Amino acid sequence: MLSVLLLVFLLQLFIHLLNTVGKQTVNDLLWLVFTKLPIPQAKAAGDLSTLRSDVVRLAREMKATSAQDDFAKWARLRRQHDKAREKYDAEASNQQSLRTTFDRVITGARWLGTQGLQFGANTWYSKQAMFWLPQGWVPYQIEWVLSFPRAPLGSISINVWAIACASVIKMVVEGSMAVWTLRSGVVKDGPRKGEAIKMEAVPGVGAKKEL
Amino acid sequence: MADDSEMESSLKPILDQKSLKWVFVGGKGGVGKTTTSCSLAVQMAKVRKSVLLISTDPAHNLSDAFGMKFGKDARPVTGVPGLSAMEIDPNGTITDLISAGGDDAQEAMQGLGGVGNMFQDMAFSIPGVDEAMSFAEVLKQVKGMEYELIIFDTAPTGHTLRFLQFPTVMEKALEKLSALSQQFGGMVSNLVNARGGLPNGQTFEDVLAKMEDLRNTIGDVNKQFKNPDLTTFIPVMIPEFLSLYETERMIQELGGYEIDTHAIVVNQLLFPKKDNPCEQCNSRRKMQKKYLEQIDDLYGEDFHVVKMPLLVEEVRGVEKISSFSEMLVKPYEAPE
Repeated sequence: MLSVLLLVFLLQLFIHLLNTVGKQTVNDLLWLVFTKLPIPQAKAAGDLSTLRSDVVRLAREMKATSAQDDFAKWARLRRQHDKAREKYDAEASNQQSLRTTFDRVITGARWLGTQGLQFGANTWYSKQAMFWLPQGWVPYQIEWVLSFPRAPLGSISINVWAIACASVIKMVVEGSMAVWTLRSGVVKDGPRKGEAIKMEAVPGVGAKKEL
Repeated sequence: MADDSEMESSLKPILDQKSLKWVFVGGKGGVGKTTTSCSLAVQMAKVRKSVLLISTDPAHNLSDAFGMKFGKDARPVTGVPGLSAMEIDPNGTITDLISAGGDDAQEAMQGLGGVGNMFQDMAFSIPGVDEAMSFAEVLKQVKGMEYELIIFDTAPTGHTLRFLQFPTVMEKALEKLSALSQQFGGMVSNLVNARGGLPNGQTFEDVLAKMEDLRNTIGDVNKQFKNPDLTTFIPVMIPEFLSLYETERMIQELGGYEIDTHAIVVNQLLFPKKDNPCEQCNSRRKMQKKYLEQIDDLYGEDFHVVKMPLLVEEVRGVEKISSFSEMLVKPYEAPE
C-alpha cells in the first residue's frame, strides 16, 4: 500500500496545482472535454453553434434585402429568421442550465477530491504517528504541538505533516519561479511585467572568485 | 375550405363555411375595417339565419357606416334582415365593476381594510384584466343570445391582438385566483363573514363559485377561438408598405396564438382608366401594383386575397354597403 506520508504529500501537491490553475479554468477545460464526448448532450452544443450561424446569416440576408422593394422575399426571410431565433434561444437557455449543472457537479467533485479527501485522511489517520522524533530532540511543548491534535506524544501528526508538505511545495514552487525569472531576466508578474530585471553589480564579488 | 392549390380571390369560401361561428376583422386604422366588416355582415346575413356584428373599436364607426344609432345592446339593422349590431367599449375597468355595485360595495371594500385593498391591488396587477372583464361580460351576453355567427369589428392592430389574447390572460389570472382562494379561502371567508358578509347578501363561497363559472366560460371560448372550423380572422390592408408590414406581423402573431387566418382583404385599390390624365392616380396605381405583386407572391398560395376598389364616394348607408359587399363575393372587374 501507498505510504500515508507519500499520499498526503501527493494530495497537497494536487491541491496546489489546482489552485494555481484556477477553478474557472478547470471547469472550462472539463466542459471542453465533455462536449467532445460522443453523447447526445455534447452533440447539442455543436448544434447550437450551427443554429447561431444560421441566425446570423439570415439576419444578414434580411438586412441586404430591401423590405420596400422586395417585401415577399424579405417577409419570408424574416419568418425563417424568427423561427431560427426562437429555436436558438430555447436551445441556448437549455444549454445554459446544463452548463450550470455541470459546473455544480464539477465543483462538488473537486471539493470532495481535495478538501474532502484531506479532511477524511486527517480523521482516519488522526491517532497514527507519521514518524517518530528521536527522543529528547525537542522540548515537551514542541512535541505536544507537533503531535497535535491526537497523535501519540513524540510523533508527527498527519495534520502537521500536511502543513509541512504544503509549505514545502509552496516554497519550492516559489523558489523555482524565482530562479526561472532571474535566468530569463524579465519581470513575470505585477505592474512592471515584461520589463528587464535591473541588477546592480556587487563590487568585489567577481574579484573574490578569481582568487 | 383551404384545400385548393389555386386560392379563390373572394370571400365566398368563408360565406360557404357553415361551421364558422366567430369572425374577426382587423387591421390598421383607416384601411376600411368597418366598411369591410359591415359588408361581410350584410353578405353573411343572406346565407345565415342570424348574424351579430360587434364593434370593439372605441371610435365606434358602426353607427356612422349604417347611418343609425347602435348602443351597448344588440339592435337589428334596418334594411338588412337577420343582422343585428352592437358597440361595446373595451376600456371598461374593474373600478367600474366595483362602483357598479354601488356605495355598498365600496363601503364593504373599505370595511375590509387591508384585505379589501389587497384584492383591489391584485385585480389591478394582473395585466389586461380590466379589458378581459369587459370582454368576458360581452361573451356572456353573446352566448346567451344564440346568434348563428358573430363578426367582430376590432380596434386597430395593437388592440386587436390584445383582445384576442384575453381569454388566455383571463384563464391564467383566474387559475391563480382559484389557487389562492383554495389556500386562503377559509381565512378570507372568516374575515368577510365576521364583517357581516359581502353586499347583497353574497357569501364568499358564492363569489368563488362565480369565478369558477367564469373560468369555465373563458376556457370554452378559448378552445373555440383556436378551432379553425369555428373561428377565422380576416386582416384588412391597403397596398402600402406600412400596412403590409403590420399585416405580416399580425398574421405571424395570430399563428402564435393558433388563430386561423386564410383570407385577406386588400382595400382601396385604384383602377384609373387607360387614358386617365391624372398624374397622381397613375403613379399611385404603379406603387399599388408593386405591393400587390408582393402580396400575391407572399400570400397567394395560402390565402384568399380579395381585392376591393377605392370608390369615388363614401361607403355609407345600407344600400351602398350592400352594393359594395357584392364585390367581396364577385371579384371586381376594373373598367378599361
